[in-house]
Amino acid sequence: MKWDEFFVTGEPMIYGAMVSIVVATLAILIGLTYFKKWGYLWREWLTTVDHKRIGIMYIISALLMLFRGGVDGLLMRGQLAKPENGLLDAQHYNEIFTTHGVVMILFMAMPFVIGLMNVVIPLQIGARDVAFPRLNAVSFWLFFAGAMLFNISFVIGGSPDAGWTAYFPLASIEFSPTVGNNYYSLSLQIAGIGTLMTGINFIVTILKMRAKGMTLMKMPMFTWSVLITCVIILFAFPVLTVALALMMFDRLFGSQFFTMANGGMDMLWANLFWVWGHPEVYIVILPAFGIYSEIISTFSRKNLYGYKSMVWSMIVISLLSFVVWAHHFYTMGHGAMVNGVFSITTMAIAVPTGVKIFNWLFTMHKGKIEFTTPMLYALAFIPIFTIGGVTGVMLAMASADYQYHNTMFLVAHFHYVLIPGTVFAVIAGFYYWFPKLFGFRLNERQGKLAFWTIAISFNVTFLPLFFLGLNGMTRRMYTYSESTGYGPLNLIASIGAVGLAIGFIILVYNIYWSFRYAPRDTTGDPWNARTLEWSTHSPVPEYNFAIEPTVTGLDPFWEAKKGGHQLYQGKFEEIHMPNNSGQPVILAILFFFWGFFMVFSWWTPAIISGIAILIMLAVRSFERDHGRHIPVKEIQETESRLRGEQV
Amino acid sequence: MKLDNTLPLEYRSEENSNRILGFWLFLGAEIVLFSTLFAVYFALWNRTGNGPGGHEIFEIGPVLIETFVLLTSSFTIGLVINSMRLGLKKPALIFFGITLVLGLVFLGVEIMEFVTYVHEGATLQTSAFLSSLFVLLGTHGAHVTLGLLWGGGLLLQIKKEGFTLDTSNKTFIFSLYWHFLDVVWIFIFSFVYLKGMM
Amino acid sequence: MSDMKKLFPIQHILGYVLSLLLSVVALSVVFLDMSAAVGLTILIISAAIQMGVQLFLFMHIGENGSKTALYTNLVYALFVGLVTVFGTLFTMIWGYQ
Repeated sequence: MKWDEFFVTGEPMIYGAMVSIVVATLAILIGLTYFKKWGYLWREWLTTVDHKRIGIMYIISALLMLFRGGVDGLLMRGQLAKPENGLLDAQHYNEIFTTHGVVMILFMAMPFVIGLMNVVIPLQIGARDVAFPRLNAVSFWLFFAGAMLFNISFVIGGSPDAGWTAYFPLASIEFSPTVGNNYYSLSLQIAGIGTLMTGINFIVTILKMRAKGMTLMKMPMFTWSVLITCVIILFAFPVLTVALALMMFDRLFGSQFFTMANGGMDMLWANLFWVWGHPEVYIVILPAFGIYSEIISTFSRKNLYGYKSMVWSMIVISLLSFVVWAHHFYTMGHGAMVNGVFSITTMAIAVPTGVKIFNWLFTMHKGKIEFTTPMLYALAFIPIFTIGGVTGVMLAMASADYQYHNTMFLVAHFHYVLIPGTVFAVIAGFYYWFPKLFGFRLNERQGKLAFWTIAISFNVTFLPLFFLGLNGMTRRMYTYSESTGYGPLNLIASIGAVGLAIGFIILVYNIYWSFRYAPRDTTGDPWNARTLEWSTHSPVPEYNFAIEPTVTGLDPFWEAKKGGHQLYQGKFEEIHMPNNSGQPVILAILFFFWGFFMVFSWWTPAIISGIAILIMLAVRSFERDHGRHIPVKEIQETESRLRGEQV
Repeated sequence: MKLDNTLPLEYRSEENSNRILGFWLFLGAEIVLFSTLFAVYFALWNRTGNGPGGHEIFEIGPVLIETFVLLTSSFTIGLVINSMRLGLKKPALIFFGITLVLGLVFLGVEIMEFVTYVHEGATLQTSAFLSSLFVLLGTHGAHVTLGLLWGGGLLLQIKKEGFTLDTSNKTFIFSLYWHFLDVVWIFIFSFVYLKGMM
Repeated sequence: MSDMKKLFPIQHILGYVLSLLLSVVALSVVFLDMSAAVGLTILIISAAIQMGVQLFLFMHIGENGSKTALYTNLVYALFVGLVTVFGTLFTMIWGYQ
C-alpha cells in the first residue's frame, strides 16, 4: 500500500483537518510537558476508577464528539442550502452523513447518557462506587478507543460512506471497496463491548448496592430509568456484536452472509441491525425520561405524579422495544402480515410513552414551577417530543409509510425525537448536576440565552424538513435542481443550523465563564432538591458519603430537610476504596491497535496485539488487589474541610 | 470487609456475590448472542448456493465424540465445585485437570472436523449456509478455547493459593461459564447436526 | 467408600446420566423413521430438559441470594433470544413474499 492510499488525499478541507489535528495534538503534548502535568494526568485521570471522574471523562468525550458531529451536520446543511451547490461532492457528502449519524448516536448520545449515569447513580442510591470500579474504567477506555478509531478514518484510509445503518449490499466489499466500513465494524465492536460491560456493571450496582431502606419501589426515577436502560443494553448489544462480526467476516474474510450470490441474504443485515437498533433508540431515550422526571419534580416542588405507572410504563417499553424492529424496513417487500404485526406493536409502544407525558404534566399541575435552565429544557421537551412521537405514529402505519419512507420527513421525525428527547435531556442533566461535581452553578442568564437560541433554531432547522419530505425530497441526496422547488425550505433549514451552532457556542462560553466567575456553592444543595445526591458535599469527596445513608421513603433528602428523618446515623468508620490502575487504559490502547491493524488486514501485527490483549487479561487474573482503606482520622479532616471549618 | 460466614466461600464477601450476579447477567447476554447466531443459521441453512448442504457434510461420529466429551467435562467441572465446597483441594485439582483435558479433546475433534470440511470444498466462502455454520460453530469453539486459557491460569492459581475468597469465586464463575458452553453445545448438537441429518 | 460418595454426590451423577440419556433420545431422530414435526418436537423437548439439568443440578441457580434477579435475567434473555430467532424467521422467511 502506498502512502497516498493510506492517507486521504486531494480534498482541501481534509488537509485542513489534518493540519489542525497535528497542531492540536502538538499543543496538548507541549502544554502537558511545559506545565509538568503528565504525572497529574496519569495519576488522577487516566488510571482513575472513581465513578465521578470516569463520568466527567465520558461527558468531555461526548462534548468533543458533539462538536465533530455538529460540524458534519453544518457541512451537510451548507451543501443543501441552495440548489446545485458545489461545497461537497457526492462521495464526501456520503461520508459525512454516515459519520454524522454514527458519531451522534454512538459516540455522543450514548457516552453523554452513560457519563451522567456514572456521575449520578452511585450518589443517588447512597453507594460509594459502582459494583466493579475497574471494569467501569475498562468500559470507558474501550468506548474511547472505539471512538478514536472511528474518527481517524477520515484522515487515514477514508470514512465509511454507506450510511450509519450500513445497509448491504452497499456496505459490502464489492460496492464499498475502501476500508471505511472496516472502520465501522471494528470501532463499533470495540466501543460496544465497553457499553455491554457498563450495562452489567450498573445493573449489579443498582440491584445490590442501594442504601439501607431503599427498596426497588423507593428508588429515584432516574435510577429506575437507568436500570431499565441497562437491561435493554444487556440484551440488545449482543445482537449488534453478532451483526458487526458477520459484517467483518464478509468484508475481511470473504464469507457470504449478506452478499448477492451464493445464497447470501442482503436484507438479513438490515434485520439484525434493527433488532439492535430499535432497542438502541430506547437506550438513549429512557435515561432522558429519568432526567426529566427528576428535574420536573424538583422544580415543581412536588413529588413525581404516578410513580408506579412511570415504572411500569418503562418496563413495558423495554419489552415492546424488542418487538418493533421491522418498522424500519416496511418497504423491503415482505408480506402484509409482517407489516401488519409490526405496525400494531409500534403503535402499542406509543401508549406507555403517552402515559409518561401525562404524568409529567400532572406533576407540574398546581406546582410552584421555577423556570431554571434545566427546567426550561424539560418544558420545551414535552411539546417538541410530542411532535416527534406523533409523526412517529404516522410512520408506524405501514401502508402510509410507503409515501414517506426514507424521505426528509423521516429525518425530521427522528431529529424531533432524539434532539428534545436525548440532547435536551443530557444538556438539562448537565446543568442540573454540574454544581454537584464542581461546586458551582453554571450562569443562569447565559444558560437561558443558550436554551432559547437552541430551542428556536432547532425548530427552524427541522420543521421545514417535514414539508420537504412530504414534497418528495429523499434523505441522503447530496444535491437537487432548482426546478424541484426545494430551495427555499432548505435555505431556512440551513439558517436554523447556523442558529444551533451559535446556541452551542453560547453554551460552551457559559461553561468557560462560569468556571472563572460563578460564585461557589457551599450548601451542596443549590436547587433545593429531593434525592440523596444533594445531601452530600459539592464537590463530592472521593468516598461520596462519610456515613452510609439510611432511607425510609421516596425523596429521602426532601423528607430529611423537612425534619422528618435522620439520613446519617452512626459514626465514621474506615472506608474501603478500590485502587487506581493503569491496566484499563493500556488494554484499550491495545484494542485500538488491534482494531486498526484489522481494518487494514495487516494480520501479523493484528495477531500480536491480539495476544497482547490476552496477556493483559491474564495479568489481571493473576493480580491480587484488594484496595485500600481510608482511616477515620482522614475522613474527619476531609469532612471538616468540606464544611469550611479551619483544620 | 463484610463477610457472611453462613455462605459458601465463593459468595462470602460482598464483592464475590456481586461478581457472581454480574457473571450471570453476562451469560444472559451470551444467550442472546448465540440466539442471534442461531437466527442467522436458521435463516440461511437451506441457502447453500453451489456448495454442499448439511446432510452431505455432517458425520455423526465426530459429533458424538464431541458431545460425549463436553457433557462429561460439564460433569467433572461440577465435581470441582463440589470438592471445593468440601475444602478438598487435591480432588478439585484432579477434576479440574480432567475438565481441561476433555475440553482440549473437544477442540481437537472440532478442528479436525473443520479441516475435513475444507478438504471437501466446504469453506467459509462457499455459501451463506457454510458461512453461518462456520461462524456459529467457530464462536462456540472460540469460547471453549478462551475457557481453556482461562481455566489453565486458574488451575495454577488454585495450586499456588488453595481455595481462598478470590480463587473459589473465580472457580465458581468459571464453572458457570463451562456449563453454559455445554448448554450451547446441546443446542448446536440438536438443531445443527441432528436436525441437519434428519 | 464414603469418601467416594462425598466426591461424587448423587445429584451430579443423576444429572450426568440424565444428560447422556437425553442425548441418546435426541439421537433417535436421525436413526428412527419419523416425520419432521415429531423429530423437531423431540429435539426441542430434550434440549429444553438438558438446559434445565445444567441450570438446576450443575449451575445451582436456585441457591443464589439474588434468585429473583437471576430468573428474571434468564427469562428476559430467553424472551429476547426467541424473539430474535422466530422474529427473524417470520420477517425474512415465512412472511417474505
